[in-house]
Amino acid sequence: MENNNNPSSRGARYSRREFLIRSGLVGAGALSLPAILAACGGSSGSSSGGGAKELYFENWPGYIDTETVKAFETATGIKMKYTEAYNDNNEYFAKVQPMLSKGQKIAPDIVAPTFWMADRWIQLGWAQKLDKAAIPNAKNLRDDLLAPSWDPKNEYQLPWQTGIAGIAYNKKATGKDLKSVEDLFDPAFKGKVGMLTEMRDTLGLVLMGMGKKLSDIKTYDDAVEAFDKIEKAKTDGQIRAFTGNDYMDDLNTGNFAVCVAWSGDVMQIAKDNPDVHFVVPEEGGTSWYDTMMWVAGSENSDSVSSWMNYIYDPVNAARITAFTGYFSPVKGVREELVKMGGEAAALADNPLVFPDADSVSRLQGWGSLAEAEEAKFDERFASITGA
Amino acid sequence: MLVVAAGAVSLGAGWVSGPAAIGVLSLMLVAVLGIVWTAFVGGLETRRALAPYGLLKPGILWLCLFFLAPLWSMLEMSLSAKKSRFDFSPSFSWHWGNYATALTDFGPQFGRSFFYAAAATVLTLLIGYPLAYVIAFRGGKFKSVLLGLVAVPFFTSYLIRTLAWQNLLADEGPIVGLINKLGVEQVFEWLHIMDNGRLMNTPAAVIGGLTYNFLPFMILPIFVSLEKIDARLVDAAMDLYSTATGAFRKVVLPMSLPGVFAGSLLVFIPAAGDFVNAQFLGSPQTTMIGNSIQDQFLRQLNYPVATAMSFVLMSVITVSVLVYAKFMGTEELM
Amino acid sequence: MTGALSTRQRNGRRFINAVAVAAMLYLFAPIAMIVLFSFNNPKGKFNIVWRGFTLKNWAHPFASPELTDALMVSLKVAVISTACATMLGTMIALSLSRYKFKGSGVVNLFLVLPLTSPEIVLGSSLATLFIARGTSFGYLTVIIAHIMFQVSFVAVTLRARIRGFDWTLEQAAMDLGATPQRAFWKVTFPLILPGILAAALLSFALSIDDFIITFFNAGSLVTFPLQIFGASRVAIPPQINVLATMILMGSISLMVIGFVVGARRQRKAMGPVTSGK
Repeated sequence: MENNNNPSSRGARYSRREFLIRSGLVGAGALSLPAILAACGGSSGSSSGGGAKELYFENWPGYIDTETVKAFETATGIKMKYTEAYNDNNEYFAKVQPMLSKGQKIAPDIVAPTFWMADRWIQLGWAQKLDKAAIPNAKNLRDDLLAPSWDPKNEYQLPWQTGIAGIAYNKKATGKDLKSVEDLFDPAFKGKVGMLTEMRDTLGLVLMGMGKKLSDIKTYDDAVEAFDKIEKAKTDGQIRAFTGNDYMDDLNTGNFAVCVAWSGDVMQIAKDNPDVHFVVPEEGGTSWYDTMMWVAGSENSDSVSSWMNYIYDPVNAARITAFTGYFSPVKGVREELVKMGGEAAALADNPLVFPDADSVSRLQGWGSLAEAEEAKFDERFASITGA
Repeated sequence: MLVVAAGAVSLGAGWVSGPAAIGVLSLMLVAVLGIVWTAFVGGLETRRALAPYGLLKPGILWLCLFFLAPLWSMLEMSLSAKKSRFDFSPSFSWHWGNYATALTDFGPQFGRSFFYAAAATVLTLLIGYPLAYVIAFRGGKFKSVLLGLVAVPFFTSYLIRTLAWQNLLADEGPIVGLINKLGVEQVFEWLHIMDNGRLMNTPAAVIGGLTYNFLPFMILPIFVSLEKIDARLVDAAMDLYSTATGAFRKVVLPMSLPGVFAGSLLVFIPAAGDFVNAQFLGSPQTTMIGNSIQDQFLRQLNYPVATAMSFVLMSVITVSVLVYAKFMGTEELM
Repeated sequence: MTGALSTRQRNGRRFINAVAVAAMLYLFAPIAMIVLFSFNNPKGKFNIVWRGFTLKNWAHPFASPELTDALMVSLKVAVISTACATMLGTMIALSLSRYKFKGSGVVNLFLVLPLTSPEIVLGSSLATLFIARGTSFGYLTVIIAHIMFQVSFVAVTLRARIRGFDWTLEQAAMDLGATPQRAFWKVTFPLILPGILAAALLSFALSIDDFIITFFNAGSLVTFPLQIFGASRVAIPPQINVLATMILMGSISLMVIGFVVGARRQRKAMGPVTSGK
């Protein structure tokens, strides 16, 4: 691991001095542009003014209902900015690294990397220790989500939402119910199969389909057969596309007969299209979670804690679940949903939102991969997805 | 002028820093002041001689700073090596391996890019020329309205248009439905436009998307060159050659070639570097080099290989543009 | 046209007209789709399958604040960058067409280069520069990037427009005693103004719709196209279609106004611009 943090680097200060000299020299002409550039590199965004408390959460799209943010603002008086620009773990990582790797601030206070990416952020020193004392509601969190091997005391992250990757199918296109990972490779669905660009979910399912246990997968060699299988399916034209969340369109319209999918999404589509079904394959499904992480350099500690504490209140968590359809990390959400009544109450019995014990028993999670091995995984997967 | 431009590039590219940067800046300043001074003391003649340089300077400076200097940075980056996986500032080390990777690992993507872009160029020409022709010669007083109509679709966002094609081409969508109703799907399969009963996520869909999105870039230049043709000339030609085709071949076509030339470039170049169509309408088998560059740069953080690919792409395009210019015998670009 | 047309010629004409009509249909097919789906009434988050007619999306065109914010960002960027680029580009175009000077060939070539480089190359190289120099991505980098490609665009299109310009008019004005400045502003400028406006309008459109270059240089700034790209991965709200339709209608009405005004002016002036029949 290389930790290249040297905050308030000499370079930054130097360029600011250089800026002054240069602008002194040439005045405010076009010539000072390089200097302005350099200066902008040095100074980081200075958004957090004193006075009113602020909070900026950058999350995945479609991951919160329309009321919670406003309700939080009213309840706490904190001015909250909520954006949905976290589209992809790798992409977001690449987007923020020019700043964070130099010890500069980025705009959001909280971001939502998936667990394996959160691991990387912590290793790179891009996360700050949470003020757990100010988040008493963290006691409501599901026990299975706490203390992962890479953050054993949950010092740096707490879960936002959790979910399952399994198989979704459009019954109109398949003509039958599916239940196995092997269905993804059924020649009958040639050109109508989708897989996720999220490597751990796609690869994990295929590995389980081959009878492997995810916790045993430590090196690239352990997974190479599954990679080969995916690659062959791709070259045969079995796989139509590798997608992010956009598989939902394809599944809904029937472009995909069957695909690797996330439980909450399918719950959303099923509202609109009763032909779409989700199943945890008999060989197993992956369980994952997205975290909330306090970004290095952010100074809004109080707001961060207030927010986390707020949404770990089962009442507020239930409101989010009613919208997203994901498996809530908070205990007691089911009861709250029933209290909400109407459509929300129906969710309490929805196996996608609250998977039955049988499905849960088939879920597996990925362990931590060593950096060098992860690099090999990523490289091979990128070459298969063809980009 | 040259001094100033060189100064801008060197500053932008970071060749110089510290005291040297100040030196370069002073030199640039002196050069600029020099021009102003000569213009000031010199007579009208001198002033006139210097005027074009004065007008050019700001714009050219901008391009030096933000077009040339970045190309230099890119070249430098493409020869750098990452020390570790999360090495965010690879250092320059004459690492030619990036080019080897770019060409071997991403060879198919390069091939597809040029093939798809060429196909889209031909298609836009086939669709765009008649349309431009009809508007220019038969538009009458509605000429500008018609031309405006051509432009209208392109006032909606590029991405929205491409997404709309997703709806149109979907397996259960209107176009596949129509083809099935007419019972001509075999024809489309035979033409390799359809694959296994689907239009979406095929090479044809990607080429179709490129064609659609870059069509106005073909129509407009052709229209401009056609519009310049005096209709009387065509009449005269008709009298001379007596057939419309003859008149077209001998008069209209040659005079519209500059438009065709410009249009082809304006379609081919962006199409070859595009990744939106391949991403929205394609499949893993149809990724283009733009997808790879984007992925390596913005997701895998592999700046060296990504920039090497960019550089290869640019070089190939520049060379082919020059060859094409020679072939078309058009000295003036655009 | 001369004489009567033979049947073959007439069929040929018909064929070309048919191709043109088909091309027009092709151009408008996705647009029709966009407009149609702005009236869709989707049940879930997905505006993909037709679920019935509604006006509610139109009643709340700005219901998606992120989308509206992104549109504002794009407008800001486009206004600033277009203003700068039009100024710089016009100066270059004037210099190139008005004067004969050493090095103009090189400048010509240089100007075309950004247009003959694929966007992905421009975007990635500029991002490399910014990364190497430690510049934070945001408004500044996006505006810089937009001006960069717009300058070339304005300069090249405007130069093409004013290539045949009769510079002796300006000379004549000066012979009559006007200062060079006065001659320029009173004679030349009004004549090339339509060209400048057209170039500015087109480059404005380029800026507001630019995706690839912006994608590389925006950092966490979200422009309208970037917002759509983000949304395309999850769920596209019908408001996107509404806004797109509004922009579309706005530009059509602008064009209609332009056409009406132009026609009236033409009738009034009956200038030498009427093209031959």
